[in-house]
Amino acid sequence: MPELPKKKVGIVSCSGEELAEGTVTRLAALKVLEQLRPADTVTICLPLFLAGGEGDRAFAKFYPTIAIDGCEKRCAARGTEMYSGKPAASIVVTELVAERGIGKPEGKRRLNAAGQQAVEATAGQIAGLVDELLHKHWNRTAGAVEELDVPVVQTPVQATCSCGSGIPVQDILVNGQTVTLIALPLIFQQLHEAGKPASPDLAKELLDTVQVYNPIPAGEESAYAAVLSSEYAAFCNQQGAVK
Amino acid sequence: MTDFKQKVIIVPCSGIGKPYGTVSREAAYAVTEDLRPAQTQLVPLALLVLGDEDSRSVVAENPAITIDGCKLACAAKMVRQSGGTVAQEIAVLDVYRRYKDLKPLGIAELNEGGQKLARVLAEEVTTMVDGIAAGKQGGENA
Repeated sequence: MPELPKKKVGIVSCSGEELAEGTVTRLAALKVLEQLRPADTVTICLPLFLAGGEGDRAFAKFYPTIAIDGCEKRCAARGTEMYSGKPAASIVVTELVAERGIGKPEGKRRLNAAGQQAVEATAGQIAGLVDELLHKHWNRTAGAVEELDVPVVQTPVQATCSCGSGIPVQDILVNGQTVTLIALPLIFQQLHEAGKPASPDLAKELLDTVQVYNPIPAGEESAYAAVLSSEYAAFCNQQGAVK
Repeated sequence: MTDFKQKVIIVPCSGIGKPYGTVSREAAYAVTEDLRPAQTQLVPLALLVLGDEDSRSVVAENPAITIDGCKLACAAKMVRQSGGTVAQEIAVLDVYRRYKDLKPLGIAELNEGGQKLARVLAEEVTTMVDGIAAGKQGGENA
């Protein structure tokens, strides 16, 4: 099976502009993305779950996600679960501040000392959760952590911009119905890079890989396999001969 | 503006991936806290995503100005999806194109150019607020 994007943890902050705690979530998320775990984390703007496309909504299914909320309304955690997938972990700044005995954050535009302390504490907690999640197996089909000890391959990558984190998707036509498949462009790309030409023998592998990220209706496997083979052949034609 | 009973809702981008998101937020704070605190109200996108009833109600009953940090225009889209009316929408990038010397850098903390750009943006939004309040539906940069 091709190695799809290296395992990373998704960070979704509420960014709540009306509260100092919202500023804490934003700055803590940034600290993790830019300084503490830049190679292991990626983020997305919460509103993109509604304002974006299928690839954006696949975010929390594709990545184990940590939701960072400023208050008990838990917009990031609840919004992520409603529109993308259940977060693997969640932090609420007001609760963390109370647990750690930190003073109340004040200053939406410029945080007071307690707010800055809350940023450090929140960022540290996020980084710890990132480490924990990276050593667990994320089942993208189930959208949940599996307690398996699976080795993880890591390569240094720049932290991804919040508006470029969507998972590539592709529409295909199966039995007259348009179906959006998550990660299909990546699957094609990696099979092509692996030097696998389009062939009937590849259909099963294609279907199995696609099925990891997408539900395939029972009884339609053959139809999907045929369309996937055809689409992959078209992809290979566009890309040129396999290496 | 004395006969204008409604508030103008200001909805900035909530992005944390680029300086433009920070510029949009800084401008929104400048308008709602410094320049037109009595006439405006900031509504965070996160509450609209969650479908918070109070926020949806505020957005549905008042004209909104959205400030977006990128072409995905989450703020404008979310206000519309929440049943609100976007009276004016402005993109940070459009303003930056007119003030190329004010290149914003930094996300957690904006550089001087970014702060100045936020101020320029805030002044344009303020003009829009005044225009809406005066029944003119907007400023010069709509």
